[in-house]
Amino acid sequence: MPFKIYEMKGIPFALFILCIFFSCSAQTEQQQEYLRWIGDIAHDPKVDEVDFEICGSDSMVYQYFSLTHEDHIKEEKPYIEDYFLKNYNSVNLDQSGWIRIRFIVNCKGEAGRFRMTESDENYKERPFDQKISDQLLSLTKSLDAWNGFETAEQPIDYYQYLVFKIHQGRIEEILP
Amino acid sequence: MKYSLTAMLFLLVLATSLAQPNCNYFKLNGEMKRYEACLEAEKAAGHYQFSKEYQQVFDRVIQMDPTWAYPYRAKSVAYLKSGDFIEWKKLIDKAVEYDTLGYLEYRGWCRYQFFRDYKGAIEDLLLLKKLTNNDMGISVNGHYHLDIALALCYKAIGKTDLAIDLILEKLGDETYFVGVYDQLHLGVMYLEKGNYAKAIEFLDKQKKINDLSENRYYAALAHKALNQKEAYVENLSLAREYYQNKQRMHDVYTHHMDKVYMSTIENEERNGAN
Repeated sequence: MPFKIYEMKGIPFALFILCIFFSCSAQTEQQQEYLRWIGDIAHDPKVDEVDFEICGSDSMVYQYFSLTHEDHIKEEKPYIEDYFLKNYNSVNLDQSGWIRIRFIVNCKGEAGRFRMTESDENYKERPFDQKISDQLLSLTKSLDAWNGFETAEQPIDYYQYLVFKIHQGRIEEILP
Repeated sequence: MKYSLTAMLFLLVLATSLAQPNCNYFKLNGEMKRYEACLEAEKAAGHYQFSKEYQQVFDRVIQMDPTWAYPYRAKSVAYLKSGDFIEWKKLIDKAVEYDTLGYLEYRGWCRYQFFRDYKGAIEDLLLLKKLTNNDMGISVNGHYHLDIALALCYKAIGKTDLAIDLILEKLGDETYFVGVYDQLHLGVMYLEKGNYAKAIEFLDKQKKINDLSENRYYAALAHKALNQKEAYVENLSLAREYYQNKQRMHDVYTHHMDKVYMSTIENEERNGAN
């Protein structure tokens, strides 16, 4: 017998409505769940490198822009641009937009916990072909460009990201 | 004088763009829903804009008054600075939807500064130019008048002549306070067009306003093209010196167009004479 909502009367119907209400509430709650800071990356043993560890605790990871004047990049930005220029193979596909790869740099200058965000040219979330995204992720993981920091009081870990502006499968700009 | 006025404008822009609204304004206007939401927004004071607590305050504010632009903009900043273009754009689009005149300049500028979305920035800035009767104001970091930012976007999409015209028009306006990088960018545009004399003219003007490693480096290239070896060597040497003294283009979050790096200078020192 087909399910008909108008046949639900009395308490069962009220329960049904309540159920929908709480299900919506739960979804809203879920959307508003935050980690400590926007952009934080929780450790995920299923995807994270086994040999990467932060030096301090998750509650003490800084942002790259909290560090001193550009010193977090070992060889300055042109080094990073040259690295991708030399190693990235453009993919002949009509795909444009942005890819952000966000990660943590630990106090030794090692990078880990890589996460990727992808959008089209209208900032709408959508994956790129993996020949583009996997290649960028793999190159970013191999990139040795970050300085580690330690103060007298504590080791410093920080969040860094690279945004690749992609035009028809080739890198047009690397940010920030 | 002009430089100090630019600095004052910068502080004014910062103050107005980040300022907490005066809630009593809404009360006096009889906008009680917005007044209550505004009081709630005050609870974000003291919380870091990236923090859960800050974001949750503005989530509640949005629930209380979903058509108020301010909380969307407030929430968007952390996403922008963490490079999350998707969430940033959703939030800032809402802010622009509910207060176009108030937030279009911010969206247009950030599309350029953070994501090099030249076409999107041009779209926003041209609309703003129209809405403000050609008086767009300056970028949120205070580095540029938005007409200059528009010119940089034009250059990036290959319309350098249009960019030059726009900057010249701005510099020709007697009421305009010259920006800290205006003449530098104009000089570089002329350099790229192969008009070396004009490039040197504006890079020299940049020296008087804000002498940087960048204008010295590009001046060196222009002098080299004109076979003026002494001026080439002198400017390249000053480019290095200024760079080492941190007398160079700088932004906390991103890198400026036409920025020069030590590796760029060293590369020219190694290969420049060839």
